[in-house]
Amino acid sequence: MTTATEPITEYRSWAVEEFRLEEEPYYVPVADEVEVFEAAWNNKIPVLLKGPTGCGKTRFVEYMAYHLNRPLAVVRDGKTEIEAESNLPLVTVACHEDLTASDLVGRYLLEGNETVWIDGPLTRAVKAGAICYLDEVVEARKDTTVLIHPLTDHRRILPVEKKSQLLQARDGFLLVISFNPGYQSALKDLKQSTRQRFVAVEFDYPPRETEAEIVQHESGCSADVALNLAKMAEKIRNLREHGLAEGASTRLLIYAGRMIAQGVSPRRACQVSIVWPLTDDGEVQRSIEEVVSSIFED
Amino acid sequence: MTDATPNSTIEEAREGLRQFPPALGQEFESALEQVQPVLEPDELAQWLREGLDIARHSLRSWEAASEYFRASSSVLEQITYERMRDWCAVGIELMETSPSLSGALFRASPQVLPHLSVSQANDWAGQGKSLYKGTWKSGSLSAQFFDVSPQILPHLPLSQMRLLVDLIDSLASHSYELASACLGMAPGVLSQLDRSDRAPFLEFGGIVAHTAWVDARVYFERGPGALRQVSEQQRPRYLSLSGQVAMQVGRLGHPYFIEAAQALSEVDKEIHEGLLELAEQLAEHSGDAAMEFIKSSPRVADRLGIDDIARWQEFGLNVLQQSRDGGEAFFRLESARGEEVMEALSSRVDLDRVSELIRMYCKALTGVDVGVKASEELTAKGVGWVDESSPTTEGTTIYLPENVERYPTKDENFAVYKVFATHQAGRLEFGSFDYQAAADPALFPASENGSSNGQAGQAASNGSALVSVEEGEGEIHTDMERFFDQFEDRRLAHDLFTIVEDTRIDTIVKREYAGVRRAFSRLQQAAIDRRRPIEDMPARQAMVENLLRASLDEVGRIRWPGELAEELRTPLRILNRIRQDGATVQDSAAATALLYDWLSQIPNMEMDSEDWSDFEQEMSGEPEAGDDSDMMPGSGSSGLEESFMPFMPGSEERPYDSPDPVDFRGDFKPELVQLLMKLKGETGSGDAPPIPLTKEQLQELLEKSVEISINELMDMDLAESSGMFLDNLLKEVNQIQGERQEGQQAMGDDSTGAEDGAELPVEAQSFYYDEWDFRAADYKPRWCRVQEQRGESGTTNYYTETLHEHTQLVQETRKQFEMLRPEMFRKMKRLTDGEDYDLDAVIEWYTEKIAGGASETKLFYRRNKVDRDVAVAFLLDVSASTDEEIQKHHDQRQDDQFDDDPRKYLSWWAQRRAEAARHPGKRIIDLEKEAVVLLIEALETIGDKYGVYGFSGYGRDNVEFFVYKDMDEPFGDRIKERIDKIAPVRSTRMGPAIRHCIWKLQNTDAKVKILILLSDGRPQDHGYGRDRTEKEYAIHDTKMALTEARREGMVPFALTVDRAGHDYLKQMCQDMAYEVVADIESLPRRLPALYRRLTG
Repeated sequence: MTTATEPITEYRSWAVEEFRLEEEPYYVPVADEVEVFEAAWNNKIPVLLKGPTGCGKTRFVEYMAYHLNRPLAVVRDGKTEIEAESNLPLVTVACHEDLTASDLVGRYLLEGNETVWIDGPLTRAVKAGAICYLDEVVEARKDTTVLIHPLTDHRRILPVEKKSQLLQARDGFLLVISFNPGYQSALKDLKQSTRQRFVAVEFDYPPRETEAEIVQHESGCSADVALNLAKMAEKIRNLREHGLAEGASTRLLIYAGRMIAQGVSPRRACQVSIVWPLTDDGEVQRSIEEVVSSIFED
Repeated sequence: MTDATPNSTIEEAREGLRQFPPALGQEFESALEQVQPVLEPDELAQWLREGLDIARHSLRSWEAASEYFRASSSVLEQITYERMRDWCAVGIELMETSPSLSGALFRASPQVLPHLSVSQANDWAGQGKSLYKGTWKSGSLSAQFFDVSPQILPHLPLSQMRLLVDLIDSLASHSYELASACLGMAPGVLSQLDRSDRAPFLEFGGIVAHTAWVDARVYFERGPGALRQVSEQQRPRYLSLSGQVAMQVGRLGHPYFIEAAQALSEVDKEIHEGLLELAEQLAEHSGDAAMEFIKSSPRVADRLGIDDIARWQEFGLNVLQQSRDGGEAFFRLESARGEEVMEALSSRVDLDRVSELIRMYCKALTGVDVGVKASEELTAKGVGWVDESSPTTEGTTIYLPENVERYPTKDENFAVYKVFATHQAGRLEFGSFDYQAAADPALFPASENGSSNGQAGQAASNGSALVSVEEGEGEIHTDMERFFDQFEDRRLAHDLFTIVEDTRIDTIVKREYAGVRRAFSRLQQAAIDRRRPIEDMPARQAMVENLLRASLDEVGRIRWPGELAEELRTPLRILNRIRQDGATVQDSAAATALLYDWLSQIPNMEMDSEDWSDFEQEMSGEPEAGDDSDMMPGSGSSGLEESFMPFMPGSEERPYDSPDPVDFRGDFKPELVQLLMKLKGETGSGDAPPIPLTKEQLQELLEKSVEISINELMDMDLAESSGMFLDNLLKEVNQIQGERQEGQQAMGDDSTGAEDGAELPVEAQSFYYDEWDFRAADYKPRWCRVQEQRGESGTTNYYTETLHEHTQLVQETRKQFEMLRPEMFRKMKRLTDGEDYDLDAVIEWYTEKIAGGASETKLFYRRNKVDRDVAVAFLLDVSASTDEEIQKHHDQRQDDQFDDDPRKYLSWWAQRRAEAARHPGKRIIDLEKEAVVLLIEALETIGDKYGVYGFSGYGRDNVEFFVYKDMDEPFGDRIKERIDKIAPVRSTRMGPAIRHCIWKLQNTDAKVKILILLSDGRPQDHGYGRDRTEKEYAIHDTKMALTEARREGMVPFALTVDRAGHDYLKQMCQDMAYEVVADIESLPRRLPALYRRLTG
């Protein structure tokens, strides 16, 4: 976790479905997205998060997973006990263009002379009653929709074809997908039949003051710097569709803020953490740098 | 003195002369009369004898004798007889060569003698003699030499005369007429030259005569004029350089001389010496380079100082040493490197280099689509802006000066641009043009000024000069205009508003953009240093000027009579308040009204004060809240009446003049901008239709506004020029509306009267591309202009007929292409991990395992998705050569069959003609067209993106690029119509067309991009190579263009129907794919097949 304070000296591992957030992720609600999400979760309606990269979609899901509780069943000495409520596990899958249905559901693996079935992340989430977050879902192959559809309507069923099984999702399970309408080509739009199974929460970069607050909190830079970074981001975002595919994300602002907090000069920090990651086009780079140099004095 | 001897000798002589024409006798008599008193008798006798000897020498020598006699007396006036004899001996000796020369010598003698000593006579005669080659033409040239000598010698010492003689001699070997003409011109020419230039002039002339004799006359005619363009001290040097160059370059030497001199006239004379020195260094390597260097010097010197020119030259010299052509192109300014180096050395920043950068910068700041253009473009429109060098904006575009060269480094100059742009962008970002009459100011409480009406009313009640506004007069008036209508003195109001609003903008800009503060302050400082002294200004003007200085953050530079300090304090406070956070343009307007009230009470008279003092006031502090009461005019002091002011006794009120503009703030014309925006329908409720405005209404409005001084626009009478101005304004507005409609995909605009569906002819759009010069191994920057235009439209019949003609083929290709349609997945086997087990692999593995063999664990398969994401640009050669009919092979054979039988032949011929009438012979272009039709059919089935283009043109600035179907244009009847009209045009300049195609593909989103070039022969065009027959240059450029395509990740493919194509395609494409379609008629079949192979 980015917010972890104590030094991490050894790696830790979780089973996919057991990953829980131990500390509250920092998230500043911009509108009523928290309430909307909660209502959707209560009603088992899957959620579609729309918005540009780095505006806080993933953080929002983490925040919600932390805050949504469900009764935790623990099997102890053969008896099932309901223990204290616990926050939801979060299974995150970054989708890519070769991601297939069996990557999500599971597959047989060879082990010695046998084959062993391994559950995929989606199956695990369904079984564990976790939030399954499919990031950038349009990137995945179309056959994944076969899985998404029965899971997202009233049935909440995951067909495990290879094992000839149907899995009913446990309470708590919620499918959340994200989608960035900005940069995908027309080919990679979500199909209507898929879209219309979700409630959608639209994200955009937060307003200047909120963004400054976020940047300040996350990066530890001064309020002044944070406000200037937010102002700059606003200006850079004006260039969207004009040489820039996407505006500077809040994430990049935070990086810049951290660099500045570490003593890198603001102009340089913006160059390495905003200008260069954003674009390779020399001219666009220069125009952004001019914006940067107009806002920061050194 | 004895009489007898002379007399008898004279008689003797007379006797002797009688055998010659009487003219000689007469000449003798008159000479005798003058000579006799001067000479001793024996001298006289000798004189007579010599004359007679001359006359008797040969057939026509009596003429020489006649000249001898005639010259004698005046010669004797100059030298003694003794010396004259020496002199004449030279002439007599010349008799041996030609008596007529001798005559010419005698004839010239009297005038020549003042310039020559007797001892030089031999030399002189020898020079003349050297021109004589024994022919009459050479004789007359030589004689001419003696004839003109008297006019030449005053300008040229005899020693240098040799140069002229050599020059003439050399010319004479080509043409006597020319030689004689030049000789005739020589005195005039020499007299025009400075003494020290004459010898070098002739030396260079000698070289010209050798290397390019035909230019000699021009040299004599224009040379002195050309030379005068060169700095006086440098002329000999320039001539010797020209000579050195001419020796190398031959015939070009003289044109170079003229052109380079012309170029030198355009640069500062101070640097001629430096330039020549640099050129001399170059001349050692290449004469061309040296002269091209000088020819380019005006453009170079425009950007670089002499020291930097030397650095530039040094760089070029290096290039030159590596490659002659490269270096020459460098100095000709035809190489990208040359320009780059110059750009790097120059501190000047040119707008065209940074306009895109600034555009994006402004777009980022303002968030709206602003354009960035040169101020000149705005003034050229004639819509009210007249200053070509100030930054300004008309609401949609920011106009900046063409270049900035104020400071010694590029960065500093760019910073100037940035300040200009930031201020103008600030006007847009912070709403300088958003004034609304109805909105309330935030900082100036309503009680003070209220709404604009209240303001006027209140002002009127204060006894000021405001005029009341008539309500509801018509909605053509902009709020800004109404605002200014309130003031009697519009100019003053406008100036005040400008100062206040610029103060507001600058303050916000500096607050918001801390990074530009430094550059801003520097320009502010520079601006204030240029202000005129206040002391000479009349009172009101001085006050305005002081406000302006205060607005530039220079309170310390305010000068004001000390006794009136109080009177200035309040206006300054009003101005200062606008600096507060949250101030809007409404506040600016309110402040303007307040200031106006103050200032209109101050008579504009000259002040007579001894106590001009700097105005010290603690301006830093914000005015205290509630401290508004004293902002009211007259409330602070009892009255600002004349009695109070230290006016010049008896002075009269002077007309008010605006303060000098502040350069970095540029022109501010809020009224005009609001008007423009209103005309464009952009104000208020967004989509409201543009308000129609009659010319009369506009005119009234313009005559009122102080922002436009029509007189400045044109030198005509008012009605006419304002009429023209209105036309411009309306044109500008319509143009923008037109653009907008275009953007909305032109919904059948009726007003244009075009037929429904028909496309309007579109003006060609220009694009500029570099061209590769393989000799220089460098690009020639912005060398070619590609004019893009839509192909003409014909009918769809052609398309349909072609399909019909090739039904069979169409079906075949379509079927083949359907198979090409992407399968969604392709199975990849034998992977260590994958979607699922590959059954075959598993069985194999298991058998092996049982048999105890090695176990291969690659048992999985995976289906990889294959996206077909292809964009292709077809570039058709539509040059004139495609007009050729295709020679069918069998025709020739048939020809041979009718050697003897005329009847047979006749019937065959008739048959052939009938056939030809039915099926006219196909031309290359026809086959290209057919191939395109078939391909389009095929492409439509698989859904690849494609564009069909054609190119032709003549010369580098006119490469025509026809769009038959653009990448993103949907296929339809329009495309079919355009294909019908594909027709051969002119030359084949492939490079730029390919580059334009690359640009098209770059703007298309696809994984695979293909560029197919379909041509019928090698690239060639006027100026595409050293001459029309040179092939190398064009091929290299084309090759480079194709390589560029590859660098951009595209797949270039060249296809030609030229059977001899192998040789150059091999060179052009080297490691790229190409194909020669040997059988032209198979092209329609071949092209789709080939495409399938390329993308399959």
